[in-house]
Amino acid sequence: MRLYEYEAKRLFRRYGIPVPESMVIDNNIWELENAVFPVVLKAQTLIGGRGKSGGIQFANNLDEAKKKIEELKKMKIKGYTVEKVLVEKKMEIAKEYYICATIDRIEHKPVLIVSLKGGVDIEEIAKTSPESIIKLYQEPGEKLAPHVGRDIAIEMGFKGENCIKVGNAINALYNDIFLGLDCKLVEINPFISTKDGKGYALDAKMDIDSDAIFRHPELSDYEVIVRHEVGELTEREKIAKAANIPYVDLDGYIGVFPGGAGFGIAAIDLIKHFGGEPANFMDSGGGPTPERMKTMLGLLMDNPKVVAIFGARFGGISRCDDWAKAVIQYIRENKPKKPMIMRMAGNMEEEARKMFEQARKETPELFSNVKIYAFDTPIEEVIKETVRVAKEILAKEKKVEVN
Amino acid sequence: MAILVDENSEVLVQGITGTNAMTHTKLMKAYGTKIVAGVTPGKGGSEVHGVPVYDSVKEAKRAHPKISVTSIWVPAKFARDAAIEAIDAGIKTIVMIPEMIPIHDMLYVRKVAKSKDVLMVGGNTPGVISPGKSLVGMLPKIAFSPGRIGTVSRSGSITYYIANSLGLHGLGESTSVGIGGDPIIGCNFEDVLKMFEKDPETDCIAMAGEIGGVYEELAARYIPKMKKPVVAYISGKYAPQGKRMGHAGAIIEGNMGTADSKIKALTEAGARVATLLSDIPLLVKQALKR
Repeated sequence: MRLYEYEAKRLFRRYGIPVPESMVIDNNIWELENAVFPVVLKAQTLIGGRGKSGGIQFANNLDEAKKKIEELKKMKIKGYTVEKVLVEKKMEIAKEYYICATIDRIEHKPVLIVSLKGGVDIEEIAKTSPESIIKLYQEPGEKLAPHVGRDIAIEMGFKGENCIKVGNAINALYNDIFLGLDCKLVEINPFISTKDGKGYALDAKMDIDSDAIFRHPELSDYEVIVRHEVGELTEREKIAKAANIPYVDLDGYIGVFPGGAGFGIAAIDLIKHFGGEPANFMDSGGGPTPERMKTMLGLLMDNPKVVAIFGARFGGISRCDDWAKAVIQYIRENKPKKPMIMRMAGNMEEEARKMFEQARKETPELFSNVKIYAFDTPIEEVIKETVRVAKEILAKEKKVEVN
Repeated sequence: MAILVDENSEVLVQGITGTNAMTHTKLMKAYGTKIVAGVTPGKGGSEVHGVPVYDSVKEAKRAHPKISVTSIWVPAKFARDAAIEAIDAGIKTIVMIPEMIPIHDMLYVRKVAKSKDVLMVGGNTPGVISPGKSLVGMLPKIAFSPGRIGTVSRSGSITYYIANSLGLHGLGESTSVGIGGDPIIGCNFEDVLKMFEKDPETDCIAMAGEIGGVYEELAARYIPKMKKPVVAYISGKYAPQGKRMGHAGAIIEGNMGTADSKIKALTEAGARVATLLSDIPLLVKQALKR
C-alpha cells in the first residue's frame, strides 16, 4: 500500500526523521493564514512524475498560495485527481542526497542505499562514481547497529550534533519504519542539508506490504487510512476490487473466466494467439461461493463488449463440484444469453459433471448455450472454438470479418 | 528417486484442522501419500481422516520420527511461525501452501531455511507431486502420470495444464513442482533445475514462468551449464504494464520482468521456448530425440 507524502512524513516525524514544517490543505484553506512564506505547494498523488506534470509549485504570499492551490486541485496527474496539497516551508538547499531502504529480490535481502550525489540519475551515478553510492545489505529481520546510521551521516558530511541527528534518522528509517512497519520501500529523494548544516527529508515515499497491514493497527493512530491499492480503475475494476477479485479490463470481446491467476495470464496470450481479443484478465480461482461467482460472471455478462465467454477450471484447491454448483446457480438465476465455452478437469470432476448433466436435463433451455469440455480436449481447442464462436456473433453484428 | 517427495516420504500436515487442509489430507491420503501426522496447536489428540493430530511439530516428530516433509496450510499470518517450528524440529523439506505471506516474514524464513539446509517450496505453491509415489499439496491427480519429465512452474493452474498436455502425448512426470506465485519464494527455478539435473529419473525439464521478477532470467544463467534439455513456456506476452495480474509477483514494473526479456534470456541460454502449452510435449519429444 503506497502512502501519500503527507502520511509518510507524519510517520517520519513520529520516528524522528526531520521534515520541514508543513500543513495539509484540502477544504481547510483558511489555515493557510498560519503559513510562513515562501512555501512549496505539493500536489498529493500516489505515483511519481509529479514534478514534471507541474504538481509542485511555489508561493511567496497568501494570495498566490490560494490561487495556486485551486489550480493544483483542478489537476489530474497521470489520471489521479488531486485532493490534498501539502504546504511546506521552502528550504534553502545546500546539498542533496538520496536515501532508500528496499528489498533486493535477487539477493533476497533488504538493502539500504544512500547516494552522496542525490537521486537524480542514480543509475548513472552508480556507473560514473560508484564511490558516492553506499549500498548496505542487511540480513532479513536484523536491525542496523546504532553506529551505522552515524557512520553514514558522517560520510554525508554532517558534523557534530547534526551527524547524531541524521544518523538517528537513518537508523529510524531502517529499523522503525522499513522493518517495524513491514515496508517494501521507504525512499527519501531528496534528503537535504541546509546551509546551517542540518538535515531534512524533503520528499517521502513509502510502500507498506499489504499482506502485513493486519499487524499494524498503530497506523490508524497516525491517521494513515488503510486502503486498497489505488489506481485509475475502470467501473468494472472497482466492482471487482470491492469483491476482492483480481480483475483487469482489456479491450476485446471475449470474456475470460480462467480459474487461477497463472492460467489467467496465459489465457490472454492464447486468445490473442488464435486471433481473438480478450476483454479482461481475471483470477477466478479460489473458493467459488455463489455470491462471488455472481460477481465474476456478472463482470463479463454485463460488459456490453463481451459476446462470448471462455471458461476453465482445473480443480486444485478449488474443487470442480463447488465450481459447478456455483456456475449452475448463476445460470439458473441470471439466465445469461452469451455463449459460455468452458473446460473442466481436476479434483471432484466426476461429481461436477453429474451436476451439470442433471441441471441440463432439468432446464435444457438454460444450458443450450453452455458447453463444457473435459480432460481429453486440449485447452487450446476450447480457446479456438471460443474465438470462432465470438467472431461469428460479431460477423452477424457486422463488426468483424470471419477468416 | 524423483525430487523433493517420493513413496518413502512421511508427511506432516501443519494446520490440519483447517477446511482446505482437511479436504486435501483426504485427497493426499487417497493418492497414497504417507500422511502420518497433523499439527494444530490446541487440538492434539483428535484425528482428521484417520490421521493423528498433535499440538506441536516436536510432538508429532517424537511419535513419528521418520517425518521428512511437512506441508503448511495455516493462514498466511502464521506461516512464518509454522515454518520456523518445522525447521526447529529438524524437518528438511517444507511445502508452503499459503499465499500473501508478509514479505519480511518470507525473507526471514528463507534465510533460516537456507542456513539449515532446509528446502522450502512456496509460499503460494500448489505443492509437489511425484506421480504414482507421493502428492503433497493440492494438485489434482488426474493431470499427472508417472514419467521422466520434470516440470516446474510459478503457477498452479499452469502446472496442471502442462502435465495434462504432456499426458495427452503419452508423456509423464518424474516430479512436478509449483514454486509459487509470490514475490519472495523458498526455491526458485534455478534451485529446482539443479535438483532435476541430478535426478536419475528425469530426462528433460519443462519450466513455465510468467511476467514479473527475475527468476526466469536467473534460471537462464544456469541452463547453459546443464546436460539435460529444458523446454520453457512464458506467459504474459500481452499483459498490460503496471497492472498486477493476480499473482503478487506478476506485474511489469518498468522494463523489468517482461515476457520478451524472459523469452530472450531463455532462448539465448539454449532452452526451447514454446509458444503454446500444447507445443511443450512436441518440444520435449524433439529434445529427447537428440
